[in-house]
Amino acid sequence: MGAITHTPAEKTLIDLLDGAEDWRAAARDAVVRFGLPTKRAEAWKWSDLRRASQGIETAGQARFLINGETAADRLTVSEDAALELVAEPGISVASLEIDVPAGARVVLKERYKLADGAFPTARLEISLGEGAVLERVVLGDTPQDSIPVVRTRIRVSKQSHYRQIALTFGSKLTRNETHITHAGEGAEVEIGGVYLLEEGRHADFTSTVSHTGPGGVTHQLVKGAAAAQAQGVFQGKFKVEQAAQQTDAKMTHRALMLDDRAEIDAKPELEIYADDVQCAHGNALGAIDETALFYMRQRGLSEVKARAMLIESFLAEPLDMISDDVLRDELAAILRQRLGAIG
Amino acid sequence: MLKINNLHNKVETQDGEEKAILKGLSLDVPAGEVHAIMGPNGSGKSTLSYVLTGRDGYDVTDGEMAFLGEELGELEPEERAAKGLYLSFQYPVEIPGVPTITFLKEALNAQRTARGEEEMPAPEFMKFIREQAKALGVSMDMLKRPVNVGFSGGEKKRMEILQALILQPKFLILDETDSGLDIDALKTVAEGVNTLRSEDRGMLVITHYQRLLDYIKPDVVHVMANGRIVKSGGPELAHELEAEGYDKFIGEAA
Repeated sequence: MGAITHTPAEKTLIDLLDGAEDWRAAARDAVVRFGLPTKRAEAWKWSDLRRASQGIETAGQARFLINGETAADRLTVSEDAALELVAEPGISVASLEIDVPAGARVVLKERYKLADGAFPTARLEISLGEGAVLERVVLGDTPQDSIPVVRTRIRVSKQSHYRQIALTFGSKLTRNETHITHAGEGAEVEIGGVYLLEEGRHADFTSTVSHTGPGGVTHQLVKGAAAAQAQGVFQGKFKVEQAAQQTDAKMTHRALMLDDRAEIDAKPELEIYADDVQCAHGNALGAIDETALFYMRQRGLSEVKARAMLIESFLAEPLDMISDDVLRDELAAILRQRLGAIG
Repeated sequence: MLKINNLHNKVETQDGEEKAILKGLSLDVPAGEVHAIMGPNGSGKSTLSYVLTGRDGYDVTDGEMAFLGEELGELEPEERAAKGLYLSFQYPVEIPGVPTITFLKEALNAQRTARGEEEMPAPEFMKFIREQAKALGVSMDMLKRPVNVGFSGGEKKRMEILQALILQPKFLILDETDSGLDIDALKTVAEGVNTLRSEDRGMLVITHYQRLLDYIKPDVVHVMANGRIVKSGGPELAHELEAEGYDKFIGEAA
């Protein structure tokens, strides 16, 4: 491959990572050689990062806060905590490793606080000890002119339980990657996702769950709705290794096109090397039920209200996975408020 | 109360062509009266109910329809509902994820707000719905379930009448309310409808069969064929139709 001409964003990122070690060095090397990912890369075909980053030329700052304090590079979290990703305008990189010790039960509330023009690439590594229970509730309420790229890797040990529920309203480009190594042997993984995209917004849920040990249970449910000129992306992959017999895994993605000019792209994949497993995936796209809409209006509800109720009832299902009532109601209220604005 | 004069409409068929359904329909239902419309399949009965309530794709192409002196044609479906027009659907719609009780509370308060009235306080609403549900044999458990989801045909029709009892409309259009009902369910539903009969309320009962009219006694019976009213008369007309069929009236319409 010939040398590429770097964009200003790429040049800034290369300078930012100059002299870095570990994964940062590898990331820098990748940008030097290939630039930021474009739609020509299979994994990014619906999320052209190079194009979205045009116009962002300066370096910025990003960091993780845990319970309001700047987080160290590596943390042990054994009780409920609030995690924030804070990013200033410009290109930035942040990283955090979290250990949840064996037997701990933790609810992690995660929020993104991004400035206009922020383009943070964040790397989060989470490791669950045996029998640990982690519920990660992520709210991505980000400004239109921001580009959060958050890649999370989770190691799920046997007997542990990992539950993730993410609610996002997207931005110019939002990439939310989740990569789980699932040890099975009594371990369970639940992944819930909701995206509601106003005009001109994009959100990408990309996930892989690699089942490496026997008897793992995985349940994934992602629901979304996209308005005109908005784009929702779902790429879900379940991998079942030969040792992962009796894996029970189910993946569902359902989305509503709120307008003919909305775009939803979905790629569900199963890659199975074991012969005694139950794996299923379902993917469905639809539009608002016009008959239901008329029925509700005939009863006196305004078109805007009826539409919002129908979209809310469709989208809210994954939020039911949240075990804490207060937290679930909080997210449901945020979703409802945004629906009021979408009309 | 409801005055329809020379009403015409067209709908778009599946092959994208326009088809005339109502072809000069005229009808006058005064307050306090129950009128029945009977007619064969395809005569335009359900179309009339959608034109009156303002469903998308059912615009008026000619003629007038006035409710309490106000022309309906330009009003949104929810505006017509707030003015007191209620349609009991032939096929009530399932709305997953929306509990019936929430739906009714939102609908009632939306109508009240549109009329410039105060919203009904929650405790008062709960008392009201509990009383009305009891009268119709609808359990509170059913009201907590999503609107019409998993209900039998009879339960759905009962819910339509319950909704009317809650919303207290000025005018009811009952579209094939008897379809899918066994005789016991039919009696319960008819009793519900009869409690709604009053001096200041009108009703239009659309039906294919005379059976329902044994329980909801109409003041006037109209025969509809080919998009028009072709004959009007007293309750005895329903029996005449049942005995002799629609054929001779269709002949008159052609």
